[in-house]
Amino acid sequence: MRDVVALAASLAAVTLVVARAEVETAVLLRHLYLVPVVAAALRLGPVGGASTAVAAVLLQAPRVFVAIERDGLTLPAAEQLMTFVILIGAGPLVGRLAASARAQRRRYETLLAVQRALSEEAPLEIALQRLRGCLAARLDVDALALIVRQDDQTAVAGSGAVVAGSLAAAVLDTGQPLFVPDAGRGPRPRRAFATPLLAGGEPTGVLAIERDGEMAVAERAAVATLAAHCGLALENARLASRQRRFADELTERIASATATKSTFVAVASHELRTPLTALLGFSELLAQRSFDGDEVRRMADVMNRETQRLVRIVDDFLDLSRLERGLEPRLTRARVDVAAAVASAVEVLRRAGTHQLQVECAPDLPAVDADADALDRILKNLVGNAMKYSPPGSAVRVAARARDGAAGARGGAGVEFSVHDAGRGIPAEALPRVFEPYYRAPGVGSARGAGLGLAVVKSLIDAHGGEIRMESAPDRGTRVTFVLPTVS
Amino acid sequence: MWALERPWTLRQSGVLADTPLALIATLGGAWLSAAWLAAGGWLPDAILRVVALACMHGGLLAVALAWAQADGGVRLPPGSLALMVLLVAGGTAGATLEARASLALVGAPCWLAILAVRGQLVGLGLGPGIPARPTLVGGTLGALLGGHLLFSASQTLGYPLRPEGWPALLVPWAYDVGANVISAECFFRGALFNRLQRRWSFGPAAAVATALALVRYLADPLLPGQIEVMVGALFYVTALGVVNCWLLWWAGSLVPGLLASALFFLAYRALDVS
Repeated sequence: MRDVVALAASLAAVTLVVARAEVETAVLLRHLYLVPVVAAALRLGPVGGASTAVAAVLLQAPRVFVAIERDGLTLPAAEQLMTFVILIGAGPLVGRLAASARAQRRRYETLLAVQRALSEEAPLEIALQRLRGCLAARLDVDALALIVRQDDQTAVAGSGAVVAGSLAAAVLDTGQPLFVPDAGRGPRPRRAFATPLLAGGEPTGVLAIERDGEMAVAERAAVATLAAHCGLALENARLASRQRRFADELTERIASATATKSTFVAVASHELRTPLTALLGFSELLAQRSFDGDEVRRMADVMNRETQRLVRIVDDFLDLSRLERGLEPRLTRARVDVAAAVASAVEVLRRAGTHQLQVECAPDLPAVDADADALDRILKNLVGNAMKYSPPGSAVRVAARARDGAAGARGGAGVEFSVHDAGRGIPAEALPRVFEPYYRAPGVGSARGAGLGLAVVKSLIDAHGGEIRMESAPDRGTRVTFVLPTVS
Repeated sequence: MWALERPWTLRQSGVLADTPLALIATLGGAWLSAAWLAAGGWLPDAILRVVALACMHGGLLAVALAWAQADGGVRLPPGSLALMVLLVAGGTAGATLEARASLALVGAPCWLAILAVRGQLVGLGLGPGIPARPTLVGGTLGALLGGHLLFSASQTLGYPLRPEGWPALLVPWAYDVGANVISAECFFRGALFNRLQRRWSFGPAAAVATALALVRYLADPLLPGQIEVMVGALFYVTALGVVNCWLLWWAGSLVPGLLASALFFLAYRALDVS
């Protein structure tokens, strides 16, 4: 309003100056109308410039036309008419150029603002809200919404959900911009424009704007370009965020792996040292002192057990090493009698005398197609674990039964082995990780182990084409079930 | 937000949809019949004038009401369109018979006001409320244009003000208020421009509506035939048309444009162009 008053005052002032001047001087002074006309054009755009020019012409027309009527088309009159032409031409032209320059500057500022709005890492919803705030402040619209489709989800900023069949939904489906000149049938025509957000040439969302008033073709084209830029900026922000998350995750994994390796080195050293200490001690005793025959046999028996333990540990290391290199354990597969294999493994462990080992093998079990040593290691490992993590004197049940084709190993016929203890169980959150190398479930207490046994067992069963699973509940024991294929 | 929350369909109807063609044909027939009868000397020219004005202004108002009914999604009282034609005809007939009877011409604007207050003319930009600031701006612009017309016509063409005084101006003013201004504003701005601006941008919509309004004024047999008056009409009707389109576009109301036109024609009628 102040602009209009100032323009009216300046027009009145120029009119007054021209009215008081002589005819020859007035011809020159009429050019002063250019000042308010250009000022209006610069300030208010082409409409302001044109309106002020028309007002200037209207103010002078009666005087000029009266002169033409009276004296004919004299040179001063022609000059005055030329002034009118200049004013009518200059007003809209300067206004258009000024408006165009302002629009261009606004576009660049908006692009920078978009970059700034998305420069900080934020979840998609917050980034969208920031972007919407930035665009709403600069696009001079009555309503603005952003929709982004990510995976199967759609995030919306600036409105409720996207209704099927709406303008935004149509743009989201087709990837083509759409313009509706009369949205909603209000007293004033409400223009609505929706254009896709693009990333890599693909529509990833929609920018929708509404305004009570004009929305020119050039402006819509600029908004479409801006939307494409926003789509790219959002995609970049999303990728950067994902990359940062990935890097953080990687760092965390590396730290975790380093810690696990350190723990493993400590545990493995301890595991190796224990049998070695026993071997060293007994061998020194045998070298330095003489014992009777029974004592020598007892010592030899201990040394033998510790040596076997040492061999098992080294075998585990070797298998693990192959596993980490992506190689399967070496197997020499043959027909193995299940009942005999179970009895043999259990018999060795039964000698410890700490637990009640119960064997329940179904009659007429088919032979399995397996490496006998591997099966022995699997059974000893699982039964040994059951004994290690259940109270002395408790029962450990080892069972074997035939499975038909559909339920057997990898769909074929197989034998299902199960080892069930009455120990303290494994927390549910630890179950998915128990077969990972070096992993030891929380609460194992002082039980010895390097966290290799179950990893090696799983790799051996996988190499057979079998399956293994573990069920456990705190204080209700653990059941490990695995299936090996039968001889076809 | 409409673009997200409302189902969207492409507009199907054309610009001339819902035009009461039967009524228009009837009015056209009546006009032609009256002209034929007048040409044969069987009908006085005064009656032909009444019929012509009633058909033209009444027809424009009837079309505007029909479009408002369709665009605003409202139902007008039965017979509203015919009533509007009859009111204009009655007013024009009254004005022909007796100067004071020209007050009967306000019947049509009164009927429009009643419909507007009942919220049945929102499709024309005539709602129950009146926007104060745009109305003030419209009044100012109309007064400026009218003032400029008075000044330039008296300075350039030497037309004086009517010497008869206010009572003699009653008939033309009543005609403007009761027929000329409301029919032009309701049809060319409220109906036609309103429909066009909902399909196109402001510039083309205003250009078409103003050009057609200009044709209507230039084709008016009552317009004085002097070339300078024709040129003046061309300029002022164009300026008034663009201004009124802008007022409707800006305010969403036809009232500012009605006021601007009324004030402009008030000034125009004050000139003695005979």
